[in-house]
Amino acid sequence: MCQMKKILLVDDDVQLVDMVKTLLESVGYEVYYAYQAEKGIEKAKATTPDLILLDVMFAGPPGPDGFEVSRQLHKDPVLKNIPVIILSGVRKALDLSYVFGPDETWMPVKAFIEKPVKPDTLLAEIEKVLGPRQKAQ
Amino acid sequence: MKLRIKLNFGIVITFLILALCMSAITLYWSKNVTIKRARERVGRSINSAWLIYNDKLEQIHLLAESQMPTIVKDFESHALNSLVDKLEIFRQKNNLDIVNLLDSQGKVITRSRTPDSKGDSLVDNIIVNNTLATGTAMMGTVLIRPEQLEHEGKDLVERCKKYGGEPTGMFMLATVPVILENKCKGVLMVGVLLNGSTDEVDKIRNLIFEGRRYKGKPVGTATIFMKDLRISTNVVDNKGKRAIGTRVSKEVAEHVLNRGVSWTGRATVLDNWYVSQYDPIRNPNDEIIGMLYIGELEQKYLDVALRELILQLAVILAVMILMFLVIFIIVGNILRPIEKLFRGTQKLTTGDLTSRVEVKTKDEVGRLCESFNHMAGQLEKQHSEIEKRQKALEEINVELKTTNKNYMEMLGFVSHELKNPLASAIMGLFTVKDGYIGDLNSAQKKCLDSVAKSLNYFKDMIGNYLDLSRLEKGEMHVNKTQFRLLEEVVKPVLESLKQELHQKKMAIENHIPAEVEFNADKNLLRIVYDNLLSNAIKYGNENGRIKLNYRQDKEEVVLKVRNEGKGIPKEKMSMLFKKFSRVDTPEYAGKKGTGLGLFICKEIIEKQGGKIWAESEEKWITFTFTLPK
Repeated sequence: MCQMKKILLVDDDVQLVDMVKTLLESVGYEVYYAYQAEKGIEKAKATTPDLILLDVMFAGPPGPDGFEVSRQLHKDPVLKNIPVIILSGVRKALDLSYVFGPDETWMPVKAFIEKPVKPDTLLAEIEKVLGPRQKAQ
Repeated sequence: MKLRIKLNFGIVITFLILALCMSAITLYWSKNVTIKRARERVGRSINSAWLIYNDKLEQIHLLAESQMPTIVKDFESHALNSLVDKLEIFRQKNNLDIVNLLDSQGKVITRSRTPDSKGDSLVDNIIVNNTLATGTAMMGTVLIRPEQLEHEGKDLVERCKKYGGEPTGMFMLATVPVILENKCKGVLMVGVLLNGSTDEVDKIRNLIFEGRRYKGKPVGTATIFMKDLRISTNVVDNKGKRAIGTRVSKEVAEHVLNRGVSWTGRATVLDNWYVSQYDPIRNPNDEIIGMLYIGELEQKYLDVALRELILQLAVILAVMILMFLVIFIIVGNILRPIEKLFRGTQKLTTGDLTSRVEVKTKDEVGRLCESFNHMAGQLEKQHSEIEKRQKALEEINVELKTTNKNYMEMLGFVSHELKNPLASAIMGLFTVKDGYIGDLNSAQKKCLDSVAKSLNYFKDMIGNYLDLSRLEKGEMHVNKTQFRLLEEVVKPVLESLKQELHQKKMAIENHIPAEVEFNADKNLLRIVYDNLLSNAIKYGNENGRIKLNYRQDKEEVVLKVRNEGKGIPKEKMSMLFKKFSRVDTPEYAGKKGTGLGLFICKEIIEKQGGKIWAESEEKWITFTFTLPK
């Protein structure tokens, strides 16, 4: 039996985290989550997920945004190869090279999904990164 | 040319012409008057000369008369020898040239000057003859022929010869009869030879002209001619000697000697012009034997005339200058307000609405100035009114802009804030609807489909409002990069619309070559394609086609998005790109839109220097936009 793939969800929207968690678990992923950027990094270190779904803007006291988190993850020798999918309401960031600059497209950010997103689209993007999932029983 | 110069110039020219005419008239008049005056003067002078001349004759006559008692006494006593001596003393004492005593037949009894010459008859002499015939005294000017003159004295002949060649003598003679016992016993003949004499002419000159000189030249001269020969004169020749022995011009000789008429005119004497008159001298038989000449220096008259002329011209000039001054002042007074008005108008036209003209006069110009001031006042009032209104409008505008910006900011904020709950709602809804957490019956599914539609519209709306907000706040900056149109713009957009396309079973016909590269704002272009394609899907026919075209022109790139669908009425076309506009024809009823998509497209494309428009055929609706290369 294959071990379930682990996905870390970093988003400040509690409802969305709930929904996505429900969806991902229903299709057979193991889901961890964090509501803040720094907590997200801690969680990543603790769990070493197969994929991180990362929001860009976080509510609350000023801190690192999603892009900063992905840069920090990249610095960590253990975490630097974990693929990242940005899941954000920021429309300006439709294009990754626009966010990271043309030289940083090598970053482990694999996709940029603009919120709101439908389950089909989200799952398709995740499968692109993690490969076909086992059907949930 | 300035009005002032024109006016002054015109008046000055007019007056100058007037002055010129006046000067010419004055000049002409002055010349005529001068000549006339000079001639009159000469006429008067020659009259005086005649008086002096005749007075001399009278004097000779009286001298002769004065000797009568002595002569009569000696005649009675026949003491004629002693009488000769007495007569000689008398002759010398009175400066006479001849004193002859004749008998009753006219024969010479004795000549005091030449006592030896006697016995010849002087009956031929007109005066002697007259006295003998009438027994009365006679006087006059006569010529004495050379052979007779011979008897009167050799020295007299010499005198005549010296100045004339032909020794004819011109004498002033007086004869007085010697009456004894009522009978004419003889004639006393007394005479003065005029040839070479200076007494008479100098006396005439001195009495009439008082011997005056003008600029070194004698003011007047007198001459006695025997026929045309100058025999007695104070006209001097080149050497300063009296010009005795010269002859008068033929013209004058002809005029005076032959025709017996006085000649008046200009004559030059030694380079000086003299106003002259020649009168004939007649003997008692009225035969013309000579001429009396008087000349007055013309220069004197000319100078006087010139002085007068200068004075007159000076007066004219002074009057002119005075007149000009007056004219300048008057013109200045008339024009000053006009010039003020002109300057005022100029100031007004250059935008100084406070420009006013100070008016003092009450004439037309003054009223004009008043009108101008009134007009300027009105203008200023209106202008300030307009400015006030404009300011108010500007304030309102700023206020509106601020309001709009605030509104847009709020809209952006709200939309963004709505995004998160919407995201979780959509996520939740579709997780349920698509059966990830359990199957649904058809009624449940239908119900959730309807919710999904609403949420989709909600999502579009938020997207558009965010774009609009960014546009209106000026946050949508153009950030140009080089990219491949198909790969980096069109394909991602189509990918995001895959589900909708699938739902309406529409087919995409792409004519954009994969190698086409672009230099533009990729993200903005994605928004454009997203909007245009979303519209094409939303409003296009089910099972219809969507065509994507690409064309490259010299200066621009032309891109088209076409879809099969119902036409849009022409009058609605221009409305398409307006903010919040929607096509509300029956065909499109029920299709909800935010009315912002095309407006945002237009803004984005125009921001990059392109154009966008729509065309509607029977079956196809085409949206075309261009971008500069």
